[in-house]
Amino acid sequence: MAWAESIVSVLKKYNVRFLNYVPDTKIEKILAAARDLGGFEALPLTREEEGIGIVCGQSLGGGRGVMLCPTAGLGNSINAVAALAIAYRIPCPIIIGVRGDLGEFNPAQVPMGQATQDILDALRIPSYRITREDETEKMTEGALRICYASEGPVAILVTNELAGWKEGRTKK
Amino acid sequence: MIDRSEASKYLVGKLKDELVVTSLGNEKYDLRSSGDRDRNFYNWNAMGMASSLGLGLAMARPELKVIVYDGDGSLLMNLGALATIAMREPKNLIHIVWDNRSYAITGGQPTATAFRTDLGAMAKGAGYPKVERVETLAAFQSAADRALIEPGPWFIHCLMKDKPVKGGGLPSPTAIKHRFMDAIGARH
Repeated sequence: MAWAESIVSVLKKYNVRFLNYVPDTKIEKILAAARDLGGFEALPLTREEEGIGIVCGQSLGGGRGVMLCPTAGLGNSINAVAALAIAYRIPCPIIIGVRGDLGEFNPAQVPMGQATQDILDALRIPSYRITREDETEKMTEGALRICYASEGPVAILVTNELAGWKEGRTKK
Repeated sequence: MIDRSEASKYLVGKLKDELVVTSLGNEKYDLRSSGDRDRNFYNWNAMGMASSLGLGLAMARPELKVIVYDGDGSLLMNLGALATIAMREPKNLIHIVWDNRSYAITGGQPTATAFRTDLGAMAKGAGYPKVERVETLAAFQSAADRALIEPGPWFIHCLMKDKPVKGGGLPSPTAIKHRFMDAIGARH
């Protein structure tokens, strides 16, 4: 199974229904796999912080949702993660399409991409970097298990090692 | 201009199984002193997030009406939520904005609504199907009565007096969460 299909099948196994997202190319692969599998509701957002509030609202209602966004979007969402998901102990899985790392072409993606792990660590958010297709299912499942067990945010990082880097117009 | 504690007491007196979520501003204290309920979710410090929490709840629990107690400052921080809510169109959402034209909880600094910004017009522009602007208690009561019965999403823009809020002090975040979720039989 390709990595995006693996992620989506684990989401379904854990009864995740809501895919709240700000798109990027990796996230689109997950959304496409979800459309193929069916049974999800995808909600496009204006900003990632909104998505954290929405996932937390879904969780408080007894539903399960995830936030899907690129690394830059994590920066847009941090106080909501801290003040809702951490302070109230609300499960909030965040699936992050990594930018600003291996093979990046866009110089302005690099600062957030390189800071992402430190930001997650500073907030003690458990995070799991998926780098290989054959570990995707186990890593995703393990991340969801700790998320619902600990009742807090968890980050799943979809890396360039796994999903490839974005081709783009390099500097000249 | 509306006295929020009076208006809030009226609304809370009408509630049965509805859920109420607040912004981090003073509206959370007025909600609590209007009548503390297990189905109230008080927001300690998630800036701007009341409307998004309300949307998430409305999606997860379509059988329940969800009321958002938002403020002008809080909504101005999360204006994109207007577009997202209008796009998703949750029929069970009632978005109340208590507009006192100031950041009252931090000392009364003016917000943009003290100048030219009209949040009701922005909600209309975002695509909310039901938008009411109310400036008196009677108008609030009539809008709230309709919103509790008719499908939304509703946006009730309340022009309110800026006056000191009594109360203060909340249970811990996790106590608020567990009480709220137990009341609606929700499990993570």
